[in-house]
Amino acid sequence: MTGFVCNRPVLLTLLATLLLVTACSTHVVVQGSVPTPLVAKIPARVGIYYSDEFRNFVHQEKIDQEGSFQVDFGDQNLSFFQNLMDALFSPAIALDKLPAEGEPLENLDGLLVPEITRFGFLTPDISGLGFYSVSIHYRLTLYDRQNHKVTDWTVVGYGKSESSAFGSNKALSDATMLAIRDGGARIAIEMSEQPAVRKWLETLQPASGARP
Amino acid sequence: MTAVRALPVLGLLTLIAGCANTRVEESRTANTGLGVDEAIVILGRASYNDRETEASFTECISRALSVGDNPIRLIPEDQFKDQLYPWFEPRTAPNSADDLARLFAQPGVQERIEEARVRYLAWIEGDTVTTDKGGSLSCTISTFGGGCFGMSYWEEDASYEASVWDLQNLTTAGEISADANGTSYLAGLVLPIPIMARPGNAACKALAAQLRNFLTEEEG
Repeated sequence: MTGFVCNRPVLLTLLATLLLVTACSTHVVVQGSVPTPLVAKIPARVGIYYSDEFRNFVHQEKIDQEGSFQVDFGDQNLSFFQNLMDALFSPAIALDKLPAEGEPLENLDGLLVPEITRFGFLTPDISGLGFYSVSIHYRLTLYDRQNHKVTDWTVVGYGKSESSAFGSNKALSDATMLAIRDGGARIAIEMSEQPAVRKWLETLQPASGARP
Repeated sequence: MTAVRALPVLGLLTLIAGCANTRVEESRTANTGLGVDEAIVILGRASYNDRETEASFTECISRALSVGDNPIRLIPEDQFKDQLYPWFEPRTAPNSADDLARLFAQPGVQERIEEARVRYLAWIEGDTVTTDKGGSLSCTISTFGGGCFGMSYWEEDASYEASVWDLQNLTTAGEISADANGTSYLAGLVLPIPIMARPGNAACKALAAQLRNFLTEEEG
């Protein structure tokens, strides 16, 4: 008992240090469900190239007064996009490597390359609101059969999640997942409405006439 | 020993709940009724401004409707949104029942809704805000012990509205609103003693009870 009393200040100091270290570092691995979009398929055989950066996206940031943050997309972003592309194109074929520049595509109507160009988030302390909010900028570049660029466009996904006293990791993870979902929803709905995509689809009509 | 004697007193004090005044209003535009196996979905209206319906509030409504003598079959919000992705995300969800026809024209949407036997959607909109606060409470802790002294209070206003859409007739069946306000106190008598009004909880219970009556009323 005496030993405990003597060591109590040391224990308290250690505990306080541990709390401070934990409070200054946030590591989030994004988790959530991966729904299959309910949209009309685009009748085109499209190759999708996911770069290593896209497959394993990790955002690291250090914020004054808030500490360091690491947001790891884990498998969620890739799984989400694979599901999305499978639902959008008939069929979508994942490519292991990017076809050489200017070289016509083999047995494909087009090539789509999704990228994450920007990731940003706000903590409740920064925004003054009771939410973690996240934005993800996706850029999608479409190439035709000749491997010429048809168009590229940016889609911004937003997500926000209520913060709680001991649930900042979950709130940031949820907000990121909601941003992925939001970006995916816009891509699913707006892809075939892009004027350049419509033009590209018109060029496919003769070739895809045999398709159901 | 003193702490042991104080326990019953503290227990009694925590049982004293603050009062919350509640007002419920209903506006019906169509007859309602729930058939066997028909379900409803409670959805929180999300937005990208600084306020939105708390997830805890829609969960509270769902819990209240799914229990009792006459439980209502509910499809969880997340499950429904996944099954109908991307049509019920914050920026793609229909804003009014007039948009339902357009939504039902999308491939697979009507089939999914019919398969799940979803008859009604109840969109919940609103939030709980602190309208006033004051008082003073301080707590200290040292190696010799600690305690809290003083009293603080805060007044909250909970205002929510449920808009009920009939997915069979693709119309708005009606709207129900619940407003509750109350003042909570935190008294420091060595230990902090909360006396909570919980207007959010009062609004949830009132809205859920009214919603249950609204939905299960026989079709005329």
